[in-house]
Amino acid sequence: MTQPSARQAARKAGTLFRKKPRPRPGSGAADRLRFSILCLTLALLLAALFAASLALGDVPVSWRALAAMLGGGSDVSPDARMIVVDLRLPRVLLGALVGMALAIAGTISIAIMRNPLAEPGVLGINGGAAVGAMVVIVVLRDPPVFLLQASGFFGALALAAAVYLLSWRGGTASLRIVLIGVGLSALTGAVTSLLAATGDLAAVQRAMIWLAGSVYDASLLKVERLLSWLILPAALTLALARELDLIAFGDGTAKSLGQPVERVRALMILLCTVISGAAVAVSGLIGFVGLLAPHIARRLAGPVHLRILPVAALVGACLVTAADLLGRLVIAPAQVPAGIVTGLLGAPFFIYLLWGRRHGRG
Amino acid sequence: MSVPMSGKPAPGGRPRAGLMLGLLGALLAASCLLSLCLGPRGIGLGTVFDALLRFDGSREHLLVVTLRLPRMLAAVLAGSALAVSGAIMQAVTGNPLASPGLLGINAGAAFAVVAVMTLTGGASGVPFLWAAFAGAGAAAVTVYLLGAVFSSVHAALGLVLSGAAIATFLTSLTSAVLIFDQSTLDAVRLWTAGSVSGRTLAEAVGTAPYIGLGLSLAFLLGRHLTVLSFGADAARALGQSPVFWRGAAILIVILLAGSAVALAGPIGFVGLIVPHIVRMLIGVDYRWILPFCAVGGALLVVAADCLGRSLLANQGFPVGVTIALIGAPFFIWLAHNRLRSTA
Repeated sequence: MTQPSARQAARKAGTLFRKKPRPRPGSGAADRLRFSILCLTLALLLAALFAASLALGDVPVSWRALAAMLGGGSDVSPDARMIVVDLRLPRVLLGALVGMALAIAGTISIAIMRNPLAEPGVLGINGGAAVGAMVVIVVLRDPPVFLLQASGFFGALALAAAVYLLSWRGGTASLRIVLIGVGLSALTGAVTSLLAATGDLAAVQRAMIWLAGSVYDASLLKVERLLSWLILPAALTLALARELDLIAFGDGTAKSLGQPVERVRALMILLCTVISGAAVAVSGLIGFVGLLAPHIARRLAGPVHLRILPVAALVGACLVTAADLLGRLVIAPAQVPAGIVTGLLGAPFFIYLLWGRRHGRG
Repeated sequence: MSVPMSGKPAPGGRPRAGLMLGLLGALLAASCLLSLCLGPRGIGLGTVFDALLRFDGSREHLLVVTLRLPRMLAAVLAGSALAVSGAIMQAVTGNPLASPGLLGINAGAAFAVVAVMTLTGGASGVPFLWAAFAGAGAAAVTVYLLGAVFSSVHAALGLVLSGAAIATFLTSLTSAVLIFDQSTLDAVRLWTAGSVSGRTLAEAVGTAPYIGLGLSLAFLLGRHLTVLSFGADAARALGQSPVFWRGAAILIVILLAGSAVALAGPIGFVGLIVPHIVRMLIGVDYRWILPFCAVGGALLVVAADCLGRSLLANQGFPVGVTIALIGAPFFIWLAHNRLRSTA
């Protein structure tokens, strides 16, 4: 929850965390076993959420029918098959993928910005995507889906590039990136609220649903595209997890340990943008996952990013899947966008995490 | 995490800082007068003075006193209150991203306004202000208590994190209501962009005592804020009780920012950028930072409002948008050029 550098310093001073230092991760078989059990538990939880999401809804499908369908059985009504396979399955898969992407991007940005509040939005990604989508929705009234996605993605990309380039001055610095990100986000926020204040009311309302973030408009094609888009950057992030450990210590320490800080930071910002920009383009702004999942993962798996990243991805997938399921069920037949549910439920959970910290368990 | 900002070590001596403050004050006075003269119907400076001092009920005098004066007052009050409360927040949390919005003040006010409108079908005038202020205050008190209770060891970080959590919670709640309620969306969308148009004199004058009280308390607190901004450990070492003074500072922020948001909507960006700009100009001494913020914040909002009105010839143009359009590029320029690269 704190940046490792602060934690390290505090440990030396012996004031902030009174507990004994954790044994060096990866140093023992017991530790490795604990990590495997953790991942397995999260995967099982995700599977349970998948099953529940496929079975529950306006038209409930019995567990038996669900099992038969997934097992390839033929004694299932075509209606139920259509609902589960064509409607619910893509939605569940898309939600899980978006959750993973947001969690990985959040882990990256918290590490490189060394600020516990630095979700990918700090890089201007959310603001850029919001302006892109808002312009398309308000100007065109009823835009085709691909145009909406493209404008969201390129808006995010453009803003992130602008943040990076503007903070380049013979090198970058975390604080300068954060501040320039805040400045540019204020600009995009102004454009968004201007459009919201003056645009056609129905279009503004549709844009607000998009901004709130939801996965209701899913298809298997979307899932495939997002998956093939994400695989490479996600794998690269995992391969470079060690660099995240180093850069989180601070520029000076990382440099003296032999890291080419600027190059790593640029690459990581690029990965973060590509990953979360794609997620935002398909689902809108599902908030809080990029902040919550990394913090939970750090609590569960310790400070090493090679372990935080997969755990955060699983946690993020669980969060978005659960949020979407709840949003569909709570006031059915009306659907609450998943992003609103993550905001409403994520916040108390985040506070619970703070509570745990106070009692020295984290 | 402290706030490592400008390369300038000291305010450069009292006389210079005092001179700069006087200059800023003169600029503020000039832009206030300009704000009274500007409009679709230009009114001369002499008529403006007559309207203020020897009101005779003519059409032009009415225009100045009922439309432009409240608007100018609202801009001055909201600007100075937000900038000062932003400076206090950054000192208390030691986080350069801190602004009054971090206490959940914007989100709380917005939710209260939306809830009142949805339940009663509409509100305006002074009750509307009270709803917004109550929402802002309730949210901020919750954030502060959570931050204090849940993270007694490292309270600044706890405050920041619980603020983010509460703000997200309330924002989600607000958009959940707005997605399903089109008429409320229509009624609040201008307010949420931040606007000082259409305020009445009663609203502006009613808020003034609260903001005045908050500002004077803040100025009295300057020395303690400087100590607080060094971090809790240093503050304790210097013999200060960080818990007490942090609590006092937060109460002032609630008073100031709550009134400002009730009056002008969530134009919280003022509270973020003005303190940064001031620190880059005059250094780290909060006895100077706070008055500079008060004058600078008021100047920014009044000037932005004038600019938006005259350039776009649209009296209803939300000042929050103009502020961001002017303030953000300037802020980016400052961050790019003045910030040391070793932060």
